[in-house]
Amino acid sequence: MPETRPGQERFVAPVDQTPLRAIDAVDVDAVPESQWKEAWKRLRVSPLFWLSVVIITFIAVMIFFPTLFTSSDPSRGSLDNSFEPPSEGHPFGYTQQGYDVWARTVYGARASVAVGVLSAIMTAVLGMITGAIAGFYGGIVDTLISRVSDIFFSIPLLLACIVVISVINNMWPNRGFWGAVAVVVVALSLFAWPQITRQMRGAVLEIKNLEFVDAATAIGATRMTNLRRHIVPNALAPVIVASTISLGVFIVAETSLSFLGLGLPSNVASWGNDLSAAQNQVRSGQHLQLMYVPAAALALTVLGFILLGEAVREALDPKARKK
Amino acid sequence: MWWYVVKRLLQTIPVFLGATLIIFVLLKIRPGDPILNLAGNKPVSQEVRDALAAQYHIDDPLWQQWLFFVKHAITLDFGNTFAGQPVIELIKQTFPVTVVLAVMALAFDGILGIGLGTIAGLRRNGWFDSSMLVLSLLLLSIPIFVLGFVAQLAFGVKLGWTSPTVGGDWNVGKLILPAIVLAVANFAYTLRLCRTSVAENLSADHVRTARAKGLSGRKVVVNHVLRNSLVPVITYMGINLGSLMAGAIITETIFNIPGIGNAAFTAIFKGETSTIVAIVTFMVMVYVLMSLLVDLLYAVLDPRIRYA
Repeated sequence: MPETRPGQERFVAPVDQTPLRAIDAVDVDAVPESQWKEAWKRLRVSPLFWLSVVIITFIAVMIFFPTLFTSSDPSRGSLDNSFEPPSEGHPFGYTQQGYDVWARTVYGARASVAVGVLSAIMTAVLGMITGAIAGFYGGIVDTLISRVSDIFFSIPLLLACIVVISVINNMWPNRGFWGAVAVVVVALSLFAWPQITRQMRGAVLEIKNLEFVDAATAIGATRMTNLRRHIVPNALAPVIVASTISLGVFIVAETSLSFLGLGLPSNVASWGNDLSAAQNQVRSGQHLQLMYVPAAALALTVLGFILLGEAVREALDPKARKK
Repeated sequence: MWWYVVKRLLQTIPVFLGATLIIFVLLKIRPGDPILNLAGNKPVSQEVRDALAAQYHIDDPLWQQWLFFVKHAITLDFGNTFAGQPVIELIKQTFPVTVVLAVMALAFDGILGIGLGTIAGLRRNGWFDSSMLVLSLLLLSIPIFVLGFVAQLAFGVKLGWTSPTVGGDWNVGKLILPAIVLAVANFAYTLRLCRTSVAENLSADHVRTARAKGLSGRKVVVNHVLRNSLVPVITYMGINLGSLMAGAIITETIFNIPGIGNAAFTAIFKGETSTIVAIVTFMVMVYVLMSLLVDLLYAVLDPRIRYA
């Protein structure tokens, strides 16, 4: 043993004199918080999140209680009112067909948001199921699902929707509100699911090899239990974020389809139809409010959902923010 | 390297066959007499009917019809429009201007997206980064045709900087505004992807080593950060060629550009489903081919991919 020189002596305090307060404070019996609860804690203090909540609540109120915003009937147009300027109760005047611009915008929220929400849900469900199966079982099942999703992914979304809806228009010309919404939703989600599938597959592949899954297997969990209780809930986060953001993208896609005359039929009040109907006036530089009012409502809604997605992403992945 | 090229080529075949199968199935489930559909629902004589049936193999089993569909697609034989013009003639007339438009849009997207994205990534969470974030969110939430109309009105009609519509005698100068509008939707994604990628690479080990060696800040960014950050950005831009083509349908309609997108819009407007399908099939083929080229180019640029 080497000799200790002055100044090199070491002093180690006895354990009872150095209480490690931080460690003692940890309650070993406490149930650990789930990632969702932790995410919610971070979400609660995020200004981005509250901004998106305010926007989405506002749009939701507009959808469920349109009469709070306008007393006009959006489906009653009278050519007597064609291009009437704004007046009391009709803040943005009338369209060429004599519809109240503001009433059309308020009632149009329903169709546009319905398309966005339903497409996002359908895409998420399709993508999550296929992605989880592909990632979990691997092998031939994985190859098959991956190749099929490659094929659907290889057709650009809007182009695919153009073909699908053109074909359906020939088969089913007069469909009501929900029929029209269903057609757009099916067309959009039929070609949008591969993106979610890829994400889900990647997440499941990563998680299924983590130690806590081995631990679950060791205490007797079956493969199905593992998939259901341990793998899928942990793989959901990126998919939920992507779906929320895609919701906004779908709303924009519906307006593009309506612009091409392939979205919702023109008798349905939707932002896409209003914008598409406004193009002739806007081209000549007149009655610009015909385009600005529905466009502003649309942009606000899409922004609301994109912000929500961003806020949830930050809350679920605090590492990315700190870096 | 060659092994990768062969593998990638082999992957393209099922994707191409599958994509044509999907379009073929959609075409087949259309109701009504296929011959009448081909002739634009005009009454046809028995001779014409027999000739069309022979030409399109309508009496053959379905799988053979599909193979013929694939064969016609590969040989670029897309049949005629209702007006009697071969669709391939229409494509030949209209495709060049679309290619020019798409290349210009891609250039705007690349230069602005990568340039601004890099600056935002280098100064993460600064005022420039925040304002770019707000800008990209706004651009994402406005449909491209609204932006197109506003740009047309502002720069074409009110300010008179450029001609509001392009028309038959197109040139590169007239296409600048439509190309910017077409680029905008993708620009938002390119910007954000580039920003994240640059910010991530800034804290990578090899960048720290380069700094420690005493390289100037500029050299570190250009040679070490950017080179690695651009890989995902360029892939993304390759994938986006598809949305560029779909966007071309809208942009070309707004600015009256005589491109393939405008031809597609006219066909949609007239309800010529067979012409729509032909044009979309062509676009999907171009897209699949372009993704293949991008991937191969990529393998040349990035050794990690060829040896993976």
